Amino acid sequence: MTNIGPNIRYANMSHWKSIPYKKIDNFREFYYEDNTNSAYYSDWDNILKYQSALGFDGIEIAPWDMADILPLFGSPENFTAFAKERGVSVIGMFHGAHASHAADHFDEAVRSGREAVDTIVRFGGTYMNTCPTQNYYGTGPLSREEVQQCAKVMNEIGRYATDHGVKIGLHNEFFCAINLSNHRELIETTDPRFVHYCIDTAQISIMGEDLLKFYDDYHERISTFHLKDTASSNQPDSLRFSQDPEITDDGMRWFWEPGMGNLDLKGLYRLLKQHEFKGWMSIEYDGSPDLLASMAMTRYYLDKELRPIYD
Amino acid sequence: MHTEAIAISLDLINRHYQEPNRNRYESKYFWEELYRLIAASGFSAIEIPYEPVWQFGGRSGVPMNRYCVNTKYENAANYRALLKECGIERVTGITFDPNLFMRNDNLGFYFGATGHFAQEALAHAADMGANYFAISPSPFYGRILQYHPDLEGQKEAFTQRTIELLGGLAAKAAELGVTLVLRHEYWGLFGGEQVVSLLDALPETVKLDLDTANLFVAGISAADFLAAHDGRIGCVHLTDTDFVDTADVWKTPNPEFPSHRATQVFRDPGTGSVDLLEIAGLLDRLNYQGPITCSARQTRDPFRALLRTRSLLNQFQK
Repeated sequence: MTNIGPNIRYANMSHWKSIPYKKIDNFREFYYEDNTNSAYYSDWDNILKYQSALGFDGIEIAPWDMADILPLFGSPENFTAFAKERGVSVIGMFHGAHASHAADHFDEAVRSGREAVDTIVRFGGTYMNTCPTQNYYGTGPLSREEVQQCAKVMNEIGRYATDHGVKIGLHNEFFCAINLSNHRELIETTDPRFVHYCIDTAQISIMGEDLLKFYDDYHERISTFHLKDTASSNQPDSLRFSQDPEITDDGMRWFWEPGMGNLDLKGLYRLLKQHEFKGWMSIEYDGSPDLLASMAMTRYYLDKELRPIYD
Repeated sequence: MHTEAIAISLDLINRHYQEPNRNRYESKYFWEELYRLIAASGFSAIEIPYEPVWQFGGRSGVPMNRYCVNTKYENAANYRALLKECGIERVTGITFDPNLFMRNDNLGFYFGATGHFAQEALAHAADMGANYFAISPSPFYGRILQYHPDLEGQKEAFTQRTIELLGGLAAKAAELGVTLVLRHEYWGLFGGEQVVSLLDALPETVKLDLDTANLFVAGISAADFLAAHDGRIGCVHLTDTDFVDTADVWKTPNPEFPSHRATQVFRDPGTGSVDLLEIAGLLDRLNYQGPITCSARQTRDPFRALLRTRSLLNQFQK
């Protein structure tokens, strides 16, 4: 039997804050200005090399990166070429489908989604993980009609994305208006030909889904993952529906590197094997104080604990 | 000089660029400890950059706009009471930078969003009891050029719309009892002496900011600038730099980070080449009585910057 490569390829969801330089040619001089480690986190050249060296061949960028990346590189294509030279492909971009539940926002939500697809195509990406609407606070609870409206927008964006070689994956956050009570309803109302699902392992667990059961139930819809751990599964409505719960006042973290929380990620990998998942898995480090250290910790855990189960 | 009246800008915290441990800057606890540390380093006044961006994406722990303050403290009065409890007696000024809204080729969007959020920021300045509201009159020149390659051809129209926007703010500022101040930045559309023409087109209530590092980079003597505009200075920013712009970096989209040669443009006060002791003496001789704010923008270590700044101020003649 011919070895045609691993079933799972690994990427990072970009949580770097603004990176001000493309490539620092005067690295030593820059370092000596104040003898701190700022120089190590200031150019895409090194950021992408860190990724590549740690075996993360893909990067999923975020729309909020655009305001910095575009002036720095001139175009999405230039960024992609620069990343490729360092062994990293752009696999896609996150998208927030703001107010897609509102019927009077349909045209705007679809237009914005299509523009995001166009941007991804220019980056050479093939995934658009999409948060279906905004936070629960100030918006929820959604009516049945509003959930269906969300689905209508997702189907429309999904059809356009599919035509352009991009897979959209619903991506739910624990604090979204699409939440535990209507999460599955939304999935089932969307057209499986055009709308897929990105499991954010920590977000759906905090929301109250059982990770393994959810994957088992929907494995045919899963396009990709945001893999991260949590020690805070099954949070109550009062917390999930509160104002701005993502960043806590006291610094408590919702998200941890794989293996640092208490999700059954080994169980998930056994199911991935059972369902023969093939595709990209993006690791997310939101909340980490040190993205480089998190990346290295994750690589160790993947290699020693998860990849031996299913690679 | 009465150094006890000098404020420190919260711009010493790097909110936007990557560095280890940066994420803590988005949580409320970080800032509430910071206020006490600021007070411990001898400052009882702060300046706050007004940043609408924190209103979006649920990051209301960063206390830099009205939405965030209201989310975490219900209202400005509660926030000011918390500051007092931490040893910060007053918010001297609020600053506003419109670069966030220069992100496409639609000038209607830029002027609409800037006007809306600047009005909100000005009202917030009044709620904070601030003395001044210091606005950057344009985005970075190179950032505008990125989206409007025919900028030079549009400059007159851009200037006219800017004057209208600032005129509206001037009227509201006068009503609120806050001094509207134009920031003087070498990288803007109104850099160098051009800011003076802009000021001349606005009501007399509008004043100028004297920013020592910006003047240094623009090659303008702070002493000459101060002498020429005595009576029109609304606030002074004591900032430091070593940077000399030999490559027209001011025309690039992100001039705070010179793309041809990485460098920290703004140095911690007292560690660069600006003679801040001489400028302090000059302000004394001219009997300048307005607000003075130190800024350690771009510092690599905010806590060291606080003490470096205090160490500099300790050298000022009492």
